[in-house]
Amino acid sequence: MRLPWPAVVGGTLVVALGATGLVRGAVPQSLASGSSGPSAAGPIVVTGAYVRAPVPPTQIAAAYFTVNNTTGTDDRLLDVSTGAGATAEIHSVAADGSMQVATNGVRIPAHGSLVLTTGRAHVMIEHLFGKLVAGQSVNIELDFANAGSIDVAAPVIAVGAPVPTDSGGHS
Amino acid sequence: MRRSVAVLLALVLALAGCTSSGTGKPKPSELNGFDQVGQFQGAGLDPAQPRPSFTLTTTSGQRFSFGTVTAGHPTLLYFGYTNCPDVCPETMADIRLALQKVPVALARLTYVVFVTTDVKHDTGPVLAKWLSNFSGGSLATFVGLRGTQAQIDAAQAAAHIAIAQDDGKTHSAQTLLYGTDDYAHVSFLQSVNLRQQIEHDLPLVAKG
Repeated sequence: MRLPWPAVVGGTLVVALGATGLVRGAVPQSLASGSSGPSAAGPIVVTGAYVRAPVPPTQIAAAYFTVNNTTGTDDRLLDVSTGAGATAEIHSVAADGSMQVATNGVRIPAHGSLVLTTGRAHVMIEHLFGKLVAGQSVNIELDFANAGSIDVAAPVIAVGAPVPTDSGGHS
Repeated sequence: MRRSVAVLLALVLALAGCTSSGTGKPKPSELNGFDQVGQFQGAGLDPAQPRPSFTLTTTSGQRFSFGTVTAGHPTLLYFGYTNCPDVCPETMADIRLALQKVPVALARLTYVVFVTTDVKHDTGPVLAKWLSNFSGGSLATFVGLRGTQAQIDAAQAAAHIAIAQDDGKTHSAQTLLYGTDDYAHVSFLQSVNLRQQIEHDLPLVAKG
């Protein structure tokens, strides 16, 4: 399913954007995309995952989810990779709208949670592998310092569409 | 985690309120209270900010004098860029949805002005295409504006918005709402309540 995405309308513009767009020093992802089991019911529980479809002509998507740490020890979300694009970065948005890249991961306090929600924080997905539209599902792998890696399936929803209340189960 | 952030934010805002209360000039936009002011659900602006005057270029290359063209119209003004993963498209989507909920006559009267802070990449066609995702089918008038870096900086200054940095990618998330009295009494930040806030406050500023 490797569509030549410059085939999208306004191909030259998209290419121009892609070539010079905001590319930061993200850790290159090796996408094993092994579709193993669903979100683990272990010490770390990931709920409410979803991906916002890109707004044409842009080629950037955002993923949101909540991570609950049920243990008595802090954990760190070190890295995120997705089946939707080559790079994924955790961004937090300050009150003034400025974005920060969480280069050293994000702490999830003992018995605490990390909530990625619109206007506050998201995972920015860039260099999409293909067209990303509402109704699809994206595999997201979250790598934790203690809990190891956890896979979740996140539904893709259109911008402006209501946020799914829970997508912990199957899509 | 959430609570501690909220507390921190409240502290920062409290401090901001202290430092700026002595001066007569409008406070910088980011420091305005998130508290509701009077009847509004958005973040109240006290003192209210007058509708700014600046001239930029539309997506089809025409000059657009913001202060003149939008005068007397309820106007939502936002500075952002199209290659924005989160806040910009969500804000525009919420504006679009809110406009579907207000009376038809009010929606027809309303301007939605999106000024790009990404001078290099947001060409007229890119901006037009991006905006069409939100303006399609809307009764309001959506306008996408561009300009040189100096023009964009000046427009943000005129609107009392923090000037965007990093090629426009670090920018204010504030949406200003000007009323028929040509003042902004309220502004909005992206949140899960944004649509409801605009839906609630837009009719209030249209009464004059």
